Amino acid sequence: MSVRRRPASLHSVFERTFHEHRRSILAWSAGLFGLAVIMAALYPTIRSNPQLATLHETYPKALRSLFGITDLTTGIGFMRAEVFSLVAPLLLIVLAVLWGGDLIAGEEDRGTIDILLANPISRGRVLLEKWAALAAGVTLTGAALAAGLAVAIPLVDLHIGVAGVAAAVVSVVLLALLFGTIALAVGAATGRRGLARGSAVVLAVAAYLVSSLADLVGWMKVVRPASPWYHALGVDPLANGFSPTHLLVPFGLTVIVMAVAVHTFNRRDLAV
Amino acid sequence: MIASVESLSIPISMRDVTKCYRAGRGIEHVDLEVGDGEVFAFLGPNGAGKTTTIRVLLDLIRPDSGSVRLFGRDLRRHSVELRRRIGYLPGELSLYEQLTARELLTHFAHLRSGPAWPAIQTLTETFELEVDRPIKNLSKGNRQKVGLVQAMMGDPALLILDEPTAGLDPLVQIQVHSLIRAAVGEGRTVFLSSHVLSEVGQVADRVGIIRDGVIVAVKRVADLRKEAVHYIDVRFTGNVTPPELALLAEATQLPSVNDTVRLAIRGTLDPLLAVLAAHPVEDLTIREPDLEDIFYSFLSGQEQHPAEAVQSVGA
Repeated sequence: MSVRRRPASLHSVFERTFHEHRRSILAWSAGLFGLAVIMAALYPTIRSNPQLATLHETYPKALRSLFGITDLTTGIGFMRAEVFSLVAPLLLIVLAVLWGGDLIAGEEDRGTIDILLANPISRGRVLLEKWAALAAGVTLTGAALAAGLAVAIPLVDLHIGVAGVAAAVVSVVLLALLFGTIALAVGAATGRRGLARGSAVVLAVAAYLVSSLADLVGWMKVVRPASPWYHALGVDPLANGFSPTHLLVPFGLTVIVMAVAVHTFNRRDLAV
Repeated sequence: MIASVESLSIPISMRDVTKCYRAGRGIEHVDLEVGDGEVFAFLGPNGAGKTTTIRVLLDLIRPDSGSVRLFGRDLRRHSVELRRRIGYLPGELSLYEQLTARELLTHFAHLRSGPAWPAIQTLTETFELEVDRPIKNLSKGNRQKVGLVQAMMGDPALLILDEPTAGLDPLVQIQVHSLIRAAVGEGRTVFLSSHVLSEVGQVADRVGIIRDGVIVAVKRVADLRKEAVHYIDVRFTGNVTPPELALLAEATQLPSVNDTVRLAIRGTLDPLLAVLAAHPVEDLTIREPDLEDIFYSFLSGQEQHPAEAVQSVGA
């Protein structure tokens, strides 16, 4: 009946949080590795079809903007459209938001927060360790995506440089971590998991739309500098490589959101 | 702020603590002091404010007003250090379901820089706890044991136990009581909440009774016993009732049953025994004072007349 396994030695809240989600991280990592390989495997078919080189010009502008479609016959154009404009960031953001929203609000919902915080550990420390576990999980999943690309790119001659791949993956990870952190923060401030996840998703969608449609909609161009999505992926890291000043935006926002989270979580009553 | 050496070592000191909730429940103007090496029991019906008080003591919720000092130090300012000295069992115990008891206990031990496994194992073996099964597969009683072990491991100076014996079978309850007494024997302090009166009678030195968020009485258990009502059944040889019985100030004579005189006496039995000694007694039964009656008399807001208490017992 009882399943015997080697007992895990969980020294910290970070380790336990990571331990509890290890299977989920593994599954998401496998998924993103697979996504990179499968998408790359489709590339030779597209490249050998000369009509596709100009097909995108017949698409509506809004569609092209939303999905980052330019020239699908180049390796960079193809991977940007198929992986980095929406699918990969969306998947990582979903992972980070689901997890981040559960980190504090979930413990409160399940009632384990009482016995956890009866230990001599500050609320700020709990929050930071949980955030660190989230960051580690999202980074590992991003690394799996990078590994998939590293395997696939030489096999199908995508001609994408290491710097471009690294910059794009880091951008996706930082973007996902920002929205996961927002979900963590709202959960820590309110104890409400649904609200935490919902508000992070709404902000992510808004950031995406503003970044993607700014060239078509006048007012969006005005607010685009406020969109972390723009600074992470709108500046086309796959083609342009690292841009530290742009990456500072999602990273800086994450730090600010965490500071607010620690402050509010420290001050409030925990639910029974 | 002048604090004497004595007040510095007082494990729990709450002054005029109020915590209100929008829903209405909460605690009002709670004053409470629990001394070193004492077992203090917090009694009251569900929803009276026991758990609210306890969660205030662990800095899980913050009072609207009043001060909370543990070991002479302000709880909010020294929250982490103070929690290092507390072992806590929540009333509504929720554990990490995926972990095994061993994993959970060693995890918490690490968070407290606390005891190594062999020390924890001594406790789990006392409770005959199966430590390598996931907690989600454990029965309610076994979960409670996990909660008790994590509270008691590392010998904390202050044990705060919210309904410690809930869900445990009687033999294990006795074990818990003896562990509590052992902890106190080693100079540690215990604050427990309960609605089981026999438990309080067995382990506690003092009792605080809380009703609707207000502490209505704090008494020594020994004093409660002294004030308690004894019930006496006595049969005299020849079925003669001595007339002096009616003159006993503290006694209330109840309707006789089958030639047996029945009395309820508050306080000491000495005057009664003096009367009995002068008469031929065939049979005598003295029933132990019933904490339950005292408890409910506080809860109903006034102490019941002994005769009413007897009627309610007999009903």
